[in-house]
Amino acid sequence: MRELKFLLSLWKTNLAAAMEYRAAFISQSIGMILNDAVYFVVWIIFFDRFPSISGWQLTDMFIVFGISASAFGLAGLLFGNAFNLGDIIVKGRLDYYLSLPRPTLLHVLASRVVPSSFGDFLYGFISYCVSGQFSLDGLGRFIVGVILATTVFVAFLVLVQSLAFWLGTGGVFTGMAINAIVTFAIYPITLFNQTAKVILFLVVPAAFMGAVPAGFVKGFSWSTLGLMLLGGAGFLALAILVFHAGLRRYESGSAIQTEV
Amino acid sequence: MKKYLAVFKINLLNSLAYPAEMVTRSAMILLFMWIFFQLWRITFAAAGSDSINGLSLHDTMWYLLLAETLELGRPRLARVISEQVKDGSIAYLLNKPYNFLVYQLSSGLGESLPRMGMLFVLGGALVWAMAGPPPDLVNWPLALVALAGAWLLHFCVNALIGLAAFVAEEVAPFEWIYQKFTFVLGGMLIPLDFYPAWLQTIAKSLPFAYMMYGPARLFVLPDMQLFAQIIIGQLLWLAIFGGLLVLVFSRGMRRLAINGG
Repeated sequence: MRELKFLLSLWKTNLAAAMEYRAAFISQSIGMILNDAVYFVVWIIFFDRFPSISGWQLTDMFIVFGISASAFGLAGLLFGNAFNLGDIIVKGRLDYYLSLPRPTLLHVLASRVVPSSFGDFLYGFISYCVSGQFSLDGLGRFIVGVILATTVFVAFLVLVQSLAFWLGTGGVFTGMAINAIVTFAIYPITLFNQTAKVILFLVVPAAFMGAVPAGFVKGFSWSTLGLMLLGGAGFLALAILVFHAGLRRYESGSAIQTEV
Repeated sequence: MKKYLAVFKINLLNSLAYPAEMVTRSAMILLFMWIFFQLWRITFAAAGSDSINGLSLHDTMWYLLLAETLELGRPRLARVISEQVKDGSIAYLLNKPYNFLVYQLSSGLGESLPRMGMLFVLGGALVWAMAGPPPDLVNWPLALVALAGAWLLHFCVNALIGLAAFVAEEVAPFEWIYQKFTFVLGGMLIPLDFYPAWLQTIAKSLPFAYMMYGPARLFVLPDMQLFAQIIIGQLLWLAIFGGLLVLVFSRGMRRLAINGG
């Protein structure tokens, strides 16, 4: 409860800080909505020419793209430092968080908001609403799907960037990891063979960010919900474990840092 | 000219100084090409034909490789220039005895060439293994000329977006949207030949097709008539964007206020 209050205060402060640059926040959000919409036109053109690919149709793409965009956006809004945790570790900027009496990982992740993320988050909902499969209970499942997809996505980012504790560098892998999970998440899962699917569930968990929650949105199933909860809890636990294992190796550079 | 050659050389050597990092960064193309192959393999099978609108699976893959090489290998100049404008470091480049725009061009080319080479080699090896050998060597010169024109067009638009920082607080959205228009109207993810006729007409009358589709299409199916059409189009758009770039830069200089040092 105490940590939840702390998180809410952090998010409130982040939002206030983002709103200090209101024009940039609004222009980046609108820009991102347009960016996502223009990108999706590729799929509209593709499915107009080839209406069904291994049973996957345009309406499925609207949902899978919607879930992925909203999850990506929610991660940037609530846990913006998930995108540059590796850099924070390498530059010794964890010192600030370690000196405060709050859970280090939670504190560092939630200390930044990526302004353009609001556009992604909103676009996901727009995509679902125009998918032709909108319903109120579907919207409820969409929200659950987005939350669980965000959990897996943030956990995956923490896992990959915690490698910086051992490697001393993180930038290249972070870019690759983000590209990999997002790219795999927004392509029809039916394209991939069994081996690739195992990778998409266990190594680069793109299935939990796209196809699995999209299936849940289309129709409720206890097994899909269970799978998503298991995926979310499993990756989150692993991420926390690896981060703390790495933290034991962390060495401060004693550099003077300013956190704003 | 010598000084720009020196800038080009410095950036080239800088890019080559960390080969392991360059290979790791370029490895991203393997993922994209593998996914494209899965998508188009199934699409061609579903279409029940070896060729769609004149392109085979082999042509499509090599087309996409060239398009991806250009997209992933071009320098992210918009970001660099807008940061220089916003943090004032542009002042340190303006007081040097060279033209700012030609300096950016030489530096961007030095950074971009090795990266594009590595992307092409890595991606090409995978595409060769999956879809077959590259197009005949006689196809390459036409594609290379068009590739140079496409690179210059990207340079002009990127520099224009970067210079927009003189008037706009944040230029990133312009860059995202420009990139996505290149994806859609440039035929980066789907060859324009697969588009409906009306959309092909629109796409081919805009600059994006000359930045992506032109060189990629010439690489797989060269044709002198198409080559002439693409080069004329590129020259025309280069004149427009190049002129605009010079104009925006000179007006931007008049707005520039440098305080202290």
